[in-house]
Amino acid sequence: MQQSYDFPADTAVLEKIGRLAIDAGSNAGFNDIEIGDIQLAIDEVCTNTIIHGLKNDQNRAFQMVIQWNPGEIEIQIHESGEFFDPLDLDDPNLENIMEEHSAGGLGLYFLRELMDEADFRIGRDGVKTWRIVKRKS
Amino acid sequence: MKIEENILNDVSSIKLEGRFDANTSDAVEKFIREKIEKGCSQFVLNMGNVSFISSAGLRVVIIIARELRNEHQGDLHIAVLQPSVKRVFEISGLNNILKIFNDEQTATEAFSK
Repeated sequence: MQQSYDFPADTAVLEKIGRLAIDAGSNAGFNDIEIGDIQLAIDEVCTNTIIHGLKNDQNRAFQMVIQWNPGEIEIQIHESGEFFDPLDLDDPNLENIMEEHSAGGLGLYFLRELMDEADFRIGRDGVKTWRIVKRKS
Repeated sequence: MKIEENILNDVSSIKLEGRFDANTSDAVEKFIREKIEKGCSQFVLNMGNVSFISSAGLRVVIIIARELRNEHQGDLHIAVLQPSVKRVFEISGLNNILKIFNDEQTATEAFSK
């Protein structure tokens, strides 16, 4: 099963994206904890895309493709905004997270912790794609 | 995001309802900052009706707690976490750094101990 959506670069769409993540995760047979993980991962990627890639410009849009089978879900986010490589971000310093600047990179940390695969690429056409995958353990 | 405040014994209890994400985190931060500027330094953040939190929400919790501890001799206590939100606190390690309580009253009373 695959569904594709186009959203404006507006953080107000995050709530709807969260509902889509819950529906898709449920349809793929994940439990509540796993669905929460999927919802968080999708939110982090879309937030990153809206704020850093598309600079909150509501006239610009990104595409989200959700594909699922029983026990597996894959989400791809495509956008062609400003150059931004999220992998340049440092991991958060969890030991000293209350220190100044130690909390940056939490979103990327969640992706790596909660999903089985999380990769990012920039195509020759400049389109940036996040691909995240979770499988039932 | 719905934000409500109740003040008891100089402790500001702030009850949030809804999603605590990049779309709502600025409003929560602004609300609490206004209270800090008015002199309040002891806060309870009741998150019993928060259905979802992302790194954007956690960032606000971290910077407000840091500022209260470092600059105002105060603190931010967390009260009532739904399982999905509690999991995010645990993964980030914040459950070991912030004071988290099972109910708002205990979180409020902890300031006077």
